[in-house]
Amino acid sequence: MIGRPGSTLWLLAAEMRLGVRDMLGRRGAVRGLLIAGAALVLVFALGLPVASSLKGVGIPISPMSVVIADAVAAVVFTLMLSQTLAAATLALYSRGDLDLLFSAPIAPRKVLAVRFTAIALNAFAAFALLITPPLLPVAVMGHWRWLSALVVLAALAFAASACGLLLATALFGLIGARRTRTVAQVLAALIGAAFFLAAQTRNILGGQKTASLWLELAEAVRSGRLRPPPAASLPLRAMLGEPLPLLAVVAVAAALFLGASQWLGARFAADAAAASGVDAGGRPRARTAVARTFASGALAATFRKELRLLWRDAALLSQVFLWVLYLLPLAFLLLRNAGEHARFAIPASVAALAFMTGQVSGTLSWVTVSAEDAPDLLAASPAAIAVLIRAKLAAALTPVAVLLAIPLAALIVLSPVAGLAATAGCAAAAAASSLINTWYNRPGKRSDFRRRRAGSWVSAIAQTFVTTMIGFAAALAAWPSIFALAPALVAVVTMLILRKSDAQIAETLRAAA
Amino acid sequence: MADALVLRGLSKSYGKPAVDRLDLTVRAGELYALLGPNGAGKTTTLRMVAGLLKPDAGSISVFGIDALADPAGAKQIIAWAPDEPMLYDRLTPMEYLEFVAGLWGVDAKAARAKAEELLKWLGLWDNRDQRCEGFSRGMKQKAALAGALIHDPRLLILDEPLTGLDAAVARQVKDLLQARVAAGATVILTTHILEVAERIADRIGIIKAGRLLAEGTLAELRARAGEQDGTLEDVFLELIDEGAEPA
Repeated sequence: MIGRPGSTLWLLAAEMRLGVRDMLGRRGAVRGLLIAGAALVLVFALGLPVASSLKGVGIPISPMSVVIADAVAAVVFTLMLSQTLAAATLALYSRGDLDLLFSAPIAPRKVLAVRFTAIALNAFAAFALLITPPLLPVAVMGHWRWLSALVVLAALAFAASACGLLLATALFGLIGARRTRTVAQVLAALIGAAFFLAAQTRNILGGQKTASLWLELAEAVRSGRLRPPPAASLPLRAMLGEPLPLLAVVAVAAALFLGASQWLGARFAADAAAASGVDAGGRPRARTAVARTFASGALAATFRKELRLLWRDAALLSQVFLWVLYLLPLAFLLLRNAGEHARFAIPASVAALAFMTGQVSGTLSWVTVSAEDAPDLLAASPAAIAVLIRAKLAAALTPVAVLLAIPLAALIVLSPVAGLAATAGCAAAAAASSLINTWYNRPGKRSDFRRRRAGSWVSAIAQTFVTTMIGFAAALAAWPSIFALAPALVAVVTMLILRKSDAQIAETLRAAA
Repeated sequence: MADALVLRGLSKSYGKPAVDRLDLTVRAGELYALLGPNGAGKTTTLRMVAGLLKPDAGSISVFGIDALADPAGAKQIIAWAPDEPMLYDRLTPMEYLEFVAGLWGVDAKAARAKAEELLKWLGLWDNRDQRCEGFSRGMKQKAALAGALIHDPRLLILDEPLTGLDAAVARQVKDLLQARVAAGATVILTTHILEVAERIADRIGIIKAGRLLAEGTLAELRARAGEQDGTLEDVFLELIDEGAEPA
């Protein structure tokens, strides 16, 4: 460990180690680092020709370049804010960790400053890993000042961390400890998808369906309708290594971060204590719930239990919400094109819809089947494993069916062939993904669902392949074309090859128990 | 009446034997304490009886039902309560009991009434609509016990049921177990708290290295260990001493 035990540096090193292990997952540090290293070398090598062509070429400070740089910075900032808001909320509720740190003879302010810094560094690391490999060859071949982009990235991360903390604390104050966890997760998803949604507003609200918001922005700059103010060029100048703009960007971010850390430090500690109090006190529910009758039989009881657990999983809900956000523009695009009987747009949208449905169904199925909190209870019960699996899959697919019901019904009305193809494609993709996740279940914790590594590699690859085939089949059926049968047949044969018996599934679950 | 549990030649190995040709009989309507040092094979034995592990060899009979040939039939009359409560943090005790009752196929109306009775008896009625995530260890243990009792099991198997409980909750659990036995059920429990076994068990079995070393009432064990006035702790330490011969 770096630094003297108990020092800020030492605490920060401990935080970063946890962050890195979380990022690398269960595959182990060596394997993860090897893969990351190989990827970095590959991207670096690919960046060499680009760097060579950029040798001696400068970036002019023009309205266009300023707007592009600002837009990129804004997109990165919102993505970072989404990440830091989720991390700040998690920090509020991970009381075991904070209890340990606060019980140690270390100043709470130091503990929190380190925790906030780690949140910022984790956000920075994710993006730095993406831009460093292509940036390095460019810097080596003459544009060394452009490495300042990394400093700007760090400034954005610290500013996003400050804003994330402010948002989490504000939510805590406004809506209380009970609701903050869920609302913050949903808000994080919404912020993360903000620019995607902004870019797709035309698709949602109508108008020229082919016009991109970004293209329109570029056109406004080109025609002189949009003139960015002088301060708007600060991010670009800072990225290009001009000392004063760089200093200004860093100063603003540092002031935001230090201000938020100092101002919110004590408040955050109090909120964390209050969050733990919420759990200790339990959650009162409506009295009327008690009068309700019990579900009858293993199938109904398991179905009801899984639906409750899905509904009460804030992190999972935020992921489903994010999926809905990404799906909305697609659905609107599909419906409008169906109304206008557009020839090419419909099959492509149907394929994408089927594929995404498969992915979400796979995640929900993994959560219900593999992330069972009490496997011993199920294994010790006389209920048949096939009944339990059926109930779990039905519960996993219910939210998907509810979300898709109206758009698919509308599509069937507007364009019956495309609607039926999309419905069949979504149903097949959902069923296939769920079955693959059941056959190749790899038991784990519910919280692992964010990492698709939670499932097995076989299931991840198989699910992607089969849902892609189903997507192709649905697209061709929407065309309509008899060739839809070919990818459908490939999907069916693959599923037959992958199939496992109830006894094999039971054995895997028993081994986990 | 058939014995509650009969194990014959039961074996399970994880590289080295965890349970080694174990013969054990628990009579119907008794409270049987299975004692042994750490790693003696107590939990492995009970997990095999509960249907959570497949034995390498041997037989398990629960009230005359061959648990290996008809696992569902045996599970229907068994309840298994491990040391870590099998709960769902995001369910309330009522919702948990609804789920468990469904797994055992208990009639919904009867299960609802039974759940109310159990939660009142265990002092959880006021917490019936709170999620288990905020419960103390004792409350979780009581909720899990309610789940184990919702289908009126004839054989109740508990692994370290008193671990981590305060005195009041521990007393409540002990009273509950004795009440179940008085009502005709059979209880098998493991515990490291020897005073508990001494006070509430009808018979005690001591195992070591997967083999039964000694078995009987406290008086019988005292006689066997030559510790006429000794506590169960004295007897236990004497019997697990290396010189002890399997029963």
